[in-house]
Amino acid sequence: MHTNRRNVIRSLAGGGLILPGLLSEMLAAEDNPLAPKKPHFAAKAKRVIFMFMNGGVSHVDTFDPKPFLTKNHDQPVKKGKRFYKAADWGFKKYGQCGTEVSDLFPQIGSMMDDICLIRSMQNINNDHFGATIGLHGGSDTFKRPSIGSWVSYGLGTHNANLPSFMVISPGLPYAGEQVWGSDFLPVLHQGTRIIPGDEPIPNMHRRAATAQQQRDELGLIEFFNRQHLKGRENDSNLRARIKSFETAAGMQTAAPEAFDLSKETDATHKLYGLKRGDTQGFGWQCMVARRLIERDVRFIELIDGDTRLDFNWDTHANMVNYNKLARNVDQPIAGLLKDLKDRGLMKDTLVVFATEFGRGPFQPNPGVSGRGHHAKVFSCWLAGAGIKGGIVHGASDELGERVARDVVTIHDFQATILHLLGMDHERLTYRHAGRNFRLTDVHGHVVKPILS
Amino acid sequence: MPFIFALMLVLPAVARADAKSDFFEAKIRPVLATHCFECHGHKVKGGLKLDSRAAILKGGDSGPAIVPGKPKESLLLTAVRHVDEELQMPPKKKLPGHIVTDLKLWIREGAVWPEGKAIGFATGKITDEQREHWAYQPLKGNPATTADGESFIDARVRSRLKEQGLQSMGLADRRTLIRRVTFDLTGLPPTPAEVDAFVDDEKPGAWHRVIERLLASPRYGERWGRHWLDLVRYADTAGDAADYPVPEAYKYRNYVIDAFNNDKPYDQFVREQIAGDQLPAANDEQRWEQMIATGYIAVSRRIGVSPHNLKHITIEDTLNNLGKTFLGLTIGCARCHDHKFDPIPTADYYALYGIFNSSVYPHAGAEHSPYRHSFVYRMGQDKADEMLKPFRDKLAPLNKKERDQYNLYQSFQSEVVEKGLTRRGVWAELEKIRAQRTAMAETFPNPEIAYAIVDGPTADAQIHNQGDPKDTGSLVRRGFLQILGGQKLPANAKGSGRLQLAQWMTDPSNPLTARVMANRIWHYHFGRGLVSTPSDFGVRGTAPTHPQLLDLLAKHFIESGWSVKSMHRLILHSRTYRLAATEHAGNLAKDPENHYLWRANRRRLDAEQLRDAILTFSGQLDLSRGGRHPFPHRLSYFYRQHEPFQEKYTSNRRSVYLMQPRIKKNPFLDLFDGPDGGLHVGDRKSTITTLQALYFLNSEFVHQQAAAISKRLPEPDRVQQLYQLIFNRPANKMEMAFAIKYFAQSKDEKRWAGYVRSMLGSNEFLFVD
Repeated sequence: MHTNRRNVIRSLAGGGLILPGLLSEMLAAEDNPLAPKKPHFAAKAKRVIFMFMNGGVSHVDTFDPKPFLTKNHDQPVKKGKRFYKAADWGFKKYGQCGTEVSDLFPQIGSMMDDICLIRSMQNINNDHFGATIGLHGGSDTFKRPSIGSWVSYGLGTHNANLPSFMVISPGLPYAGEQVWGSDFLPVLHQGTRIIPGDEPIPNMHRRAATAQQQRDELGLIEFFNRQHLKGRENDSNLRARIKSFETAAGMQTAAPEAFDLSKETDATHKLYGLKRGDTQGFGWQCMVARRLIERDVRFIELIDGDTRLDFNWDTHANMVNYNKLARNVDQPIAGLLKDLKDRGLMKDTLVVFATEFGRGPFQPNPGVSGRGHHAKVFSCWLAGAGIKGGIVHGASDELGERVARDVVTIHDFQATILHLLGMDHERLTYRHAGRNFRLTDVHGHVVKPILS
Repeated sequence: MPFIFALMLVLPAVARADAKSDFFEAKIRPVLATHCFECHGHKVKGGLKLDSRAAILKGGDSGPAIVPGKPKESLLLTAVRHVDEELQMPPKKKLPGHIVTDLKLWIREGAVWPEGKAIGFATGKITDEQREHWAYQPLKGNPATTADGESFIDARVRSRLKEQGLQSMGLADRRTLIRRVTFDLTGLPPTPAEVDAFVDDEKPGAWHRVIERLLASPRYGERWGRHWLDLVRYADTAGDAADYPVPEAYKYRNYVIDAFNNDKPYDQFVREQIAGDQLPAANDEQRWEQMIATGYIAVSRRIGVSPHNLKHITIEDTLNNLGKTFLGLTIGCARCHDHKFDPIPTADYYALYGIFNSSVYPHAGAEHSPYRHSFVYRMGQDKADEMLKPFRDKLAPLNKKERDQYNLYQSFQSEVVEKGLTRRGVWAELEKIRAQRTAMAETFPNPEIAYAIVDGPTADAQIHNQGDPKDTGSLVRRGFLQILGGQKLPANAKGSGRLQLAQWMTDPSNPLTARVMANRIWHYHFGRGLVSTPSDFGVRGTAPTHPQLLDLLAKHFIESGWSVKSMHRLILHSRTYRLAATEHAGNLAKDPENHYLWRANRRRLDAEQLRDAILTFSGQLDLSRGGRHPFPHRLSYFYRQHEPFQEKYTSNRRSVYLMQPRIKKNPFLDLFDGPDGGLHVGDRKSTITTLQALYFLNSEFVHQQAAAISKRLPEPDRVQQLYQLIFNRPANKMEMAFAIKYFAQSKDEKRWAGYVRSMLGSNEFLFVD
């Protein structure tokens, strides 16, 4: 990677306008706040792909079968005016582990031997906004840095030509951009939003008419900066800014290449369920995620859906919508896992499947095909580096209403992800407003039984 | 002490008739909280926590702290008796005998500890050590110029430099100074003519004339008002999950800008924002202006889908902000437990809480309650009601229709809806009804409205145990922070107490209000305050580098009649402000961050300065004053978290007038560390990132502006003019030669635009010496 940047600079020099004076300095790897940092202890995972399903995926319809509900479907619940509601889909056992997954996710099901399923997740807020920022930043009321920002802050990145934290989010989630905001952490740890289409990273394409023109402009900037630096040599901000144009030039080359899927084979396209040339759908997000992993981006978040009712998992009144939603993600996610395995990337990449909460085991009236929000228990899963595959951790009760065993709170979940990256969630702190803040606030325990 | 006593008497929702519980609450809990909790509650020294019975029984590194029923076998008792040299607690001072006896009794009687009350002691106790913290001490010194006419600023700075063995640098040249002071006071670059006028002004008082010209410019308030808006996390939307617009919020923003332009005395400025609705006014104009000022409280952040049901969270945002902004204290920390570091007991939080809970916050709409209410009418509520009644009567049936239809739509989630109706169809009908309703709403007259605060039913508040409003504890009389006087609302007081609070906050005997603002003014002029944590003067903040100077500044501030402009004059005329940003190897080795002010700090332009400067260069900056944003009619919208408010409104006005939403970010401001409307910012960051560099290279804005800038300047000597315009200096021969080399290939407009882009991308433009 470093060689690439050198080449970029050399090519600028070749353009005739860059002067030799600062060349060596521009190539020096100093003044880089995103320089890779050592974790607290040996890490299992180096990078993360964090998939977030907007709206709240119903656990009892996907990863947590409840025969009790099937048996008692449409029966009134003793207290209150509610009725049990069975899953609209059947469940099958998959793999050697025999974990049951619903017919919504046959492809993900086929990967269960690689997946650690958590059936005892618990969030701290029962509405989208609070639950979403809670899962990402640890607080359901206050704006706090997102988990990807914390990871970027804690570990830096090996690829200076791409942002350390990238979020592929075609639409906006509940709570908007603050979901990947760096808040009080320096803004370079903020998630860079990637929007599928012509310009996934803002301003990544050369706007100057020709490459030569841009080279000349970079040469001019370098000239102005060199003039200006006289008598100001010790100012690290000035030097860092000079360097930022170098990395910008690098990004301008690296980013379009990262998003260019034309060289991916037909077989790979098929693996991700992606039509060649298509940038819509979760298949594009997953394939780009793998390419970013290959390029050593530290934390990649994939957000499915947006806040519009029929375009996310928030099915208050329309469970059958899950057929469409699951089809969009099932093949791509399974394809991503297979691809990561095939390319040997799974051993140091952590893959996370998360959502803000589950959905309740009840319906308000017989025949209403919907479920309400349910943060008391739901399902998420992890796979890859440092994770025991083929296991189920924790359980919900007979109804899927409460945690029956081994609760995993969002803070436990966050602490565990940081742990896999070699960081102690109690030591990853940032001083702000008079005290040290951390992702897990005053909570969180690493979930040890799921670690390999 | 009387306060603790009062608390002990009331404490107990938990006490009941259980004598042992009573004993614990009265005698033991306060002792643990006061003498043990700092190390064995907030912290876990020696692996031991003493914040619940379970924790005490579990003990620490040395084993269980107590054995119930057996005082002699209880390590806790051994420790407090100071009989074992290895184990003496508290380590510094032995507890009085009667306390040791109480502890012994408590253990002997089984160490009863009422369940469910583990943490959150509200003792109200402030230690002498806490009181001794520098920030709470009275202001000292006499802010006069020295005998030889040196300002006290320069005298104090010089003496600190001498102590540190640092050498002061020379003064900056006039070009540097006018660029520095113009960006500093107005947020805009000086024009080439202004630079020339100053450089060529040979008469005495040239610097004075520049300062006075800038302070008199309306651009000044737009710049310094923006600083204030950072502090009060100003936004044009409420911040709830659907981010409802607040079309009237801009009045408060403009009030702030006017206050700076008019040099409104700062103590008055503070009082108006806290209690403007209750202050005397000479006329209706002033009365209304003061009403608008309470927009400060109204702009508190709302959260969730029904913020009106989470008033305690809104008030927390108010108190958090009030503490940081005016007092440099993190009051919000005390909502759930006594402040862990500073002398702010939970009881103090609820003394303030009662004041704001006795005030009415306007409701701008939210998903679960879309209709606005509790805004303030200039003509008064009664008159407005009378005027609006016929319209409201006409609107009422449409409101009902709209809510009924919405509930029908929602009922798809809960009931089997009658056959023939579809969700989509019901929604379409709902939209029709809303359109009718909007048409009706638009016939409403438009009385003048403010997003402001008035008093409501008044009452003292109960402590929320561990911050939980459903679990209330003892009642606290409304009042002020103990550490700053602890005044209580008199028994016969009427109203919420905001008026009294405003007076307590601005009483000159409270040293923090003046110190914090004097430090902020210094901070904005120099890029760092004498206290480098401008919103935290507590023990976790940084101590002042020049404590005496800070006090002198604060005293001068008060003596000048709290005149902010007087502070500017004082600071800008000092030698310290006019220093060059020179490098000096010896000084750099000793004080690399220039804490002792041996030179000027080089600063990156902030987001607004950057945008406003570029628009100035292109001649496209619209200097007219911003008003109401083009929000839809105030009675017409229904946002939900599924369809949140996400409009973008563009204009070429100064950046301070851009619509500032809370949930949806402005990508430009965000990229350059601009305000985000949800967070108090006392100290902007100035990061340098790759994405910023890409912005200069490839953004539409920079490309458009660069083209416009170069076209504005006539040939010949365009290069010289560009240097004057953007760098505020002429180009030298070498620079001209380099330009000639660049233009050798072509001199078309595209090539020119590229040249300008490179200047805008340069460090010389982005940084101010």
